[in-house]
Amino acid sequence: MMLQPEKIEPVLPQRQPDSTALQIQGLNLWLGHTPVLEGVDLVLAQTGVTTLIGPSGAGKSSLLRCINGLYQNWQGQIELLGRDIRHWPGGWDQLRSHVGLIAQKPCVFPQSIRANVVFGVQGWRQRRRADALVEAVLRQAALWDEVSARLLAPAETLSLGQQQRLCIARALAIKPGLLLLDEPTASLDPRSKQLIEQSVKSLAASMPVLCVTHDLEQARRLGGQVVFMCDGKVIEQADCESFFQRPKRLESREFLSWNVCEC
Amino acid sequence: MNRSQISKIIIVGLALPALLLPGVCLAYILFKGLPALSWSFLFSATEGLGFGATSGVLAQLLGSLLLALLASLVATPFALGTALYYRLLASKRQQALLAGLLNMLQSIPPVVFGLFGLIVFVHLLQWGVSLLSGAIILAMVILPMLVLNSIASLERIPGQYTEAAQSLGLHHGAVIGRVWLVQAWPGILTGQLLGVARALSETAPILFTATVFSGVVWPESIFSPVTTLQTHIFYLAQEGSNPQVIQVAWGSAVVLLGLVAAFALLARYLANRYENPQHLGAER
Repeated sequence: MMLQPEKIEPVLPQRQPDSTALQIQGLNLWLGHTPVLEGVDLVLAQTGVTTLIGPSGAGKSSLLRCINGLYQNWQGQIELLGRDIRHWPGGWDQLRSHVGLIAQKPCVFPQSIRANVVFGVQGWRQRRRADALVEAVLRQAALWDEVSARLLAPAETLSLGQQQRLCIARALAIKPGLLLLDEPTASLDPRSKQLIEQSVKSLAASMPVLCVTHDLEQARRLGGQVVFMCDGKVIEQADCESFFQRPKRLESREFLSWNVCEC
Repeated sequence: MNRSQISKIIIVGLALPALLLPGVCLAYILFKGLPALSWSFLFSATEGLGFGATSGVLAQLLGSLLLALLASLVATPFALGTALYYRLLASKRQQALLAGLLNMLQSIPPVVFGLFGLIVFVHLLQWGVSLLSGAIILAMVILPMLVLNSIASLERIPGQYTEAAQSLGLHHGAVIGRVWLVQAWPGILTGQLLGVARALSETAPILFTATVFSGVVWPESIFSPVTTLQTHIFYLAQEGSNPQVIQVAWGSAVVLLGLVAAFALLARYLANRYENPQHLGAER
């Protein structure tokens, strides 16, 4: 019997159609004695892709970790749908179940493909009865056609590109309201890269996606907004076309010309 | 002969006795003890040596296994709890303190634990010389080893699993139950088996707290004493003038060696079988 794919709607408290999805103000983060983020301001709309670019050590990955609460010792204000994430109902764990994070290196659990997809779903009964959800999110991650016949096979048997798409499906299964991707295609082949980019674009039609990348061509292809970070600060935020055609800041122009930044 | 060859000879000369002496010792025990083994020796508890000693070692075999397994069962939850505390809650300073404490506890002579058990469990709490007193004292002896092993098993879990699980919104308990324990159980179980092997090889702690020489095959309750292979060998060895008794002591030594080796080999098998932590979890 064919299962009807379930429509994935993010479940978030008090979603307001006209508000921004994410608003960050004056975010500072120190790791040990090193300042990692300094006065970061960022606004994300309800839908669309925002790519975070910048040289290594600019604080891009750290910013993602602050947003999903893996780092908690920051100062400043992070609001998700108008709610301060420090006071998220149910605490940091609940916050993380609303913010999907995809790491640079795919990390699948040593279980079956299906078990990986539903790993973050709460309750074992819900996990057992999640066939429709499994199909829906695997389709959204552009992986269904490749794995539908072997859902109980070990996830480690998938290629790296497939594993990364499995991680995206796993993050989607918790029905996040915001998707964070940390260089999701850094170690993947061009075909996998293309599939993930397509998947990200289609997801961005229904939710905000914040994607860190070192690949400027990828940032162009993804479109949407571009945020250029350097040395822990946001240097420029603009829509994709204006940023690449007419960067306003000298640092941005240098980075686009030479891929270096001397902030 | 050049310098390199000389240094090789010196190294082999130093290493050989270290391997040879235990080998010779083991071979001698097998040589002396194997002739004593028979079906009736292993699985009977009939008296036959006089002074209450049994010619078969069934009671001692059961007593040793019971004490060691019970000790391991008692120690396991505390070992796991301490390891989880170390990994989850302890600060760097507390971790260093705990590691130092565990290493110190490991170096305490087991006879001191035996003395503590005699005073506290046997006399003060009035549990008497019993299975319970002996099992708890043995649990205290093997606890540091089990904790250190559990910590090592938890530390072998790739950090990215923990982070991936946390990123999906799993709380601490779920991360422990669905990631850590699923990944670490082979290592923890290996530690338990080594703990049983260690408990089987301890004599001093149970000498005062759990064992009698004879008169018991299967303890009636946890407050009953037991007989064990370790103490059986200890008592029989003091009757050095009677060749029949000494023959039974050698036979008991071979049985004890076999038991310890069986648990150690099972532990080794598990460690090799699941050396790669990326085995499949139970949930499909």
